[in-house]
Amino acid sequence: MSKEEVLSKVNEIFTDAFDREDLVIGFETTASDVEGWDSLMQMNLIEMIEDEFGMRFDMDEVVGMENVGSMIDIIITRI
Amino acid sequence: MNHYTFEEIEIGISSSFDSVITEEDMKLFADLSGDLNPMHVDADYAKSKGYKDKVVYGMLASSLYSTLVGMYLPGERCLINNCEVDYRKPVYVGDSLTVMGEVTDKRNSTRRIKVKGKTINQNGVIVNTSEITISFTGD
Repeated sequence: MSKEEVLSKVNEIFTDAFDREDLVIGFETTASDVEGWDSLMQMNLIEMIEDEFGMRFDMDEVVGMENVGSMIDIIITRI
Repeated sequence: MNHYTFEEIEIGISSSFDSVITEEDMKLFADLSGDLNPMHVDADYAKSKGYKDKVVYGMLASSLYSTLVGMYLPGERCLINNCEVDYRKPVYVGDSLTVMGEVTDKRNSTRRIKVKGKTINQNGVIVNTSEITISFTGD
């Protein structure tokens, strides 16, 4: 699966989590770019992504995520 | 009160406790919530709708999941992040309820667990079920 394909699936998860059909994210998107992306939503997103891709992040990876792109870089190595 | 840490929690750990919903509980919940729907405060009305007595507020019965999590599983060091409840059968004043929970998921990435809850009455009937997502507070 390419990074663009992973991004597309992650975008679907975000639109579901934030209940915003118009939400479009990119590799550079950060929490400050999306209203409502707080610590609780971060946990929801992480778990939804883990379930979607059948993988698990570790705590250090979650803490080190700078943007959506760095999240996708990790996903790519696990699928 | 239990004091499980995140590290101590394992999938499959379970807890349970018993509770009886009293008339006083119903009055307190009515005052607290402002819900005076006759199904919950008027026995004759509830009987006219096919129930054997006034029906215990669903959210009063499911408030016992707060006790399950906050006192037993995991106890002190937690916050409920999400709680989905499926109300299956009516609960009546005086019913003896057993509330049970079992850890079904543990995520190191988010330091959260999921507990599946089940409440049965004195006849062994499942009156509601739940899935609760729980985060851990710092020490």
